[in-house]
Amino acid sequence: MKDARQFGTLIGLVLLSAGLWILTPHFLTVSNLVNVVEQTSINAIVAVGMTFVILSGGIDLSVGSIVALAGVVLGTSLQSGHPLAIALALALAAGTAAGLVNGALISGGGLPPFIVTLGTMSIARGAALLFTEGRPVSGFDAAFRLLATGRVGFVPAPVIAMAVVYAAAHLVLTRTTFGRYVYAIGGNEEATRLSGVAVRFHKTMIYGVSGLMSAIAAVLLTARLNSAQPIAGINYELDAIAATVIGGTSLMGGEGTLGGTLVGALIMGVLRNGLNLLGVSSFLQQIVIGGVIVIAVLLDTVLKRKNRT
Amino acid sequence: MKNTIALILAAAAVSVSCNRGGPATTNSDRPTVALVLKTLNHPFFVDMRRGAQEAADRLGVNLQVQAAEREIDVEKQMQIVENMIQTGIQALVITPSGSREIVSALVKAKNAKVPIIIVDTRVDAKAAADAGVKTETFVGSDNYAGGKLAGEYLVTSTGGKAHVAILEGIPGHETGDSRMRGFRDAVKGAAGVTIVASQPANWERDQGFNVFQNMLQAHPDIDSVFACSDLMALGAIEAIRAAGKTGAIKVIGFDALDDAKKAIAAGTMAASVAQFPSEMGKAAVESAVKVIRGEALPADINVKLALVTKDNVK
Repeated sequence: MKDARQFGTLIGLVLLSAGLWILTPHFLTVSNLVNVVEQTSINAIVAVGMTFVILSGGIDLSVGSIVALAGVVLGTSLQSGHPLAIALALALAAGTAAGLVNGALISGGGLPPFIVTLGTMSIARGAALLFTEGRPVSGFDAAFRLLATGRVGFVPAPVIAMAVVYAAAHLVLTRTTFGRYVYAIGGNEEATRLSGVAVRFHKTMIYGVSGLMSAIAAVLLTARLNSAQPIAGINYELDAIAATVIGGTSLMGGEGTLGGTLVGALIMGVLRNGLNLLGVSSFLQQIVIGGVIVIAVLLDTVLKRKNRT
Repeated sequence: MKNTIALILAAAAVSVSCNRGGPATTNSDRPTVALVLKTLNHPFFVDMRRGAQEAADRLGVNLQVQAAEREIDVEKQMQIVENMIQTGIQALVITPSGSREIVSALVKAKNAKVPIIIVDTRVDAKAAADAGVKTETFVGSDNYAGGKLAGEYLVTSTGGKAHVAILEGIPGHETGDSRMRGFRDAVKGAAGVTIVASQPANWERDQGFNVFQNMLQAHPDIDSVFACSDLMALGAIEAIRAAGKTGAIKVIGFDALDDAKKAIAAGTMAASVAQFPSEMGKAAVESAVKVIRGEALPADINVKLALVTKDNVK
């Protein structure tokens, strides 16, 4: 059943693309497809972390703010003259640390993830603003910007980063005990605990993964805009949740795949791109995108109900 | 299979909207110009679009208008620019969401050999030069001069004695910074004018309300407020009303929005600096047509400013 659901999402993407191909000659060109995947890569990477969290039965509303926080840490350390490797390490560490704080509060304090990450969403945003006095940190050297502007053949660097992240995360989720526990905690946390799994530790790690993914996205975003903005990443949590649920991951936890999330993120990206190409009004675009999200969740529910009976 | 049906529905929604909006590629003899705005949920940009559309209809331009959902979303604006380039536009008219951040998007337009016209918010000159981006012209009002106009009005209308609060725009954004600089420079000479508080309210009405309410708590002696945009000024007016101080505090805004003009007529607001966004939109489209025809443009096209007060409000 899980496979059928994922297959369905893929068919959806193909149909959507076919529709756009019929409607506009600008959609199915190599340069536009490269463009779409590049635009999708940042949301797709944030959505990897979100998929881990949602699979474990949680939610992470702080991802967008962590993108901003990790971004300004990166930008500031680059501008204060740190070597690229150090600046990257600091940014990834900042994002991971923020995620681990989420995880520790949720698993250690026994607090609902929605509330904890709602709080840290505001805290991380405030910290990013405080750190930069509200101003964007702009202008980096070309070597760093290669992370966004570089190409291998015709493939943009962010797309390669996305592919590497998905491959690694997929291996972690399907081939490691940690990955199995992610599903197990989401499926039945109490049973997992009773079978001797260190649930608190693993839950903390899951939010750490989400923080790390936000930080990786922050690196790409900062390179792309040549600027680290304390107000970056607003509403990224919603896009990431949307990609995850369109991709068939159950908000109840325990069910879903990263492949689905990638297709979900691509559906969002293709939809936005296509609506731009067609010159659809920006207001109508929001309605269409919202409609697709609702339809995807509706499907998920309907399919599950059918499965049960 | 139901999800398949659902996505056909989604595609159908796309096709319906397409038929209404018109695809980007009809009439190859008509030049296609993209107008990329910061947002369309602000009357200023809605007016700008109206002016641009009127000019486009008159000049036979196929105008494609797109905007980010939120005013400060540079990344979304960049995506729109990338997508519009794919449709083979002949000129890009843009109101940048960030003076420096937008340069990355402009590089993409440059690489696609699309001429660029900047409206309302200037691009950071150094960032553009570093990236090798050349813009054809800047269409807009001189925000510094507008801020100065507001400051001079404050000095003369209060007889040079005031405790002023400033509601700033988003920090680091050229438009708000210039307005504030102009205002500060104008009141600097008046010894009796003190700026007691200055805080960002990020262009938003509700933040204007909250921030000004807090300012009034901290500084009950405030007798005038300059807001770098009318939306923030309108928020401040509500905060004044809530504090029961209507009429006791002089409110000066910027943009002369319809709501602000009503407030000026009603006496709850003293003045607002009027910009003419529809004129900007018109001048921008006219400039785009000139560029496409290969005509030269001046580096700056200044659109007039005017102070609206109770005496001249319509």
